[in-house]
Amino acid sequence: MASALIEFRNVAFSFGDEPLLRDVSFQIQKGEAFSLIGPSGQGKSVVMKLMAGLLTPTAGEVLIDGRSLVTLRGKDREQLLCRMGMLFQKNALFDSLTVGENVAFPLREVRQAPEAEITEAIQFYLEAVGILHAKDLFPDEISGGMQKRLGIARALALKPEIVLYDDPTAGLDPITSRKIIQLIIDLRQEYGSTVVAITNDMNRAYQLGGRIAMVVDGGVIVTGDHDQTLAHPDPRVRQFIRGQLEGPLAGSGTVTT
Amino acid sequence: MIAGFRAIVDDVGGGLLFLGQMFSTALHYRPKSHVVFDQIWKVTLNSLSTTALAGFFVGAIMTVQFTLQVKEFGALGYLGGLATSGTIREVGPLLIAFMLSGKVGAFTSAELGTMRVTEQIDAVRCLGANPFQEIILPRYIAIILSSFFLLAVGLFMSIAGGLLLGVVFSGITAEEYLRHIPTIVTLPSIVSGLFKCLVFALVLASICTYKGFTTTGGAKGVGRAVVATAVATMVGLVIADFVTTLIAEAILSMAMQA
Repeated sequence: MASALIEFRNVAFSFGDEPLLRDVSFQIQKGEAFSLIGPSGQGKSVVMKLMAGLLTPTAGEVLIDGRSLVTLRGKDREQLLCRMGMLFQKNALFDSLTVGENVAFPLREVRQAPEAEITEAIQFYLEAVGILHAKDLFPDEISGGMQKRLGIARALALKPEIVLYDDPTAGLDPITSRKIIQLIIDLRQEYGSTVVAITNDMNRAYQLGGRIAMVVDGGVIVTGDHDQTLAHPDPRVRQFIRGQLEGPLAGSGTVTT
Repeated sequence: MIAGFRAIVDDVGGGLLFLGQMFSTALHYRPKSHVVFDQIWKVTLNSLSTTALAGFFVGAIMTVQFTLQVKEFGALGYLGGLATSGTIREVGPLLIAFMLSGKVGAFTSAELGTMRVTEQIDAVRCLGANPFQEIILPRYIAIILSSFFLLAVGLFMSIAGGLLLGVVFSGITAEEYLRHIPTIVTLPSIVSGLFKCLVFALVLASICTYKGFTTTGGAKGVGRAVVATAVATMVGLVIADFVTTLIAEAILSMAMQA
């Protein structure tokens, strides 16, 4: 088997003295669409931030294309991070920049692209996510769905091989949610990128179409594709995907970060 | 008591690590000049009028106070020299730095704190850019350069304020006011005033960028960061004033002997 694009090797993580993840190991292959599901407060966002190098594991290693994010420093690390794009749970848009400048930021500051190319890229990515008309507005002047779209456009601006989506459909109506996921699928097909997405909505996870993994009780259970997930023997998975009240999972947990 | 002491040591240690990280970034990455100039422009323009106003009144206050003292000795001729010297060497830099800590310090820590809690700083890192290079360093450099410049403007305005009050309040002519300024305000005292300006600017910039950058915990966290910035800056400025006074005295007395 070819080496994985993203690999967690015995990763542990704790906030202060409170362990959140214990001995997590899994792999994501190049070109996959990988969904992370699981109850709130179990560490989905933490898993994603470990992938993005925003958090450092307390033990173990996170490898991106065979290189460890934990030990890599300086420019090498930044180059590796450039190959990833991330949509944040709350979008994390630069609120002092306009919609267009948000997309331009990585091109201007990281790649130092010429202005002509930047203008073209703004046009292209905003059109791809369908918010070109809002180019000169500020992020707080556009709707929540448009902010999500802008977050996606900015995450894609450096043409990343890996795109991480932290709950791309949070707080959106079912139709917009479906459109956003379709957009993610289309963009993935167009660029051949690897996608990891967090979602709480099983339908969106099925729609994305790849393997599914559940983050629960300090571990990551890779449940497989649609059918395998539905038939998964673990009672926690069965309870979660059916949304049952009775079972080993005790309601919503602590606050996610 | 011990816990409080530990918290202070933790805070200072964290601040020093932060500064270390910033200076090592400064060695390896060139700060983006267009961002630096943007920031300098913003900071200077935002605070110019208030600083000038504060400076003017500092000079005025000093003149009024000295008038009450020296009038009894019939030494009003020395009024201009004394007031200007006191302003340049001590009161001016300190009061103007206090003013700036309210304007620039609070603004910067609130801005950086908000960027932190809304994950904008993480987003910068995620896009493969360096937050120290993109956000912190330009602000730090801009605060130092423009505080220094603003303090100098404030001092100049304080001389003007002192002169005006000398004429209006103390009833001496402008010529009398200015006559003894060169004899009392020597080069070393100007240098020590400017040295203080520089040290205060460093204190101001370090505290507000550190507190803002390390904000945690939403809107409340930003509030805490701004308050902590204000308190730490005030305390830091007074301590820095004491230390720089000692250093400046040493330099002055060396200059006298030479």
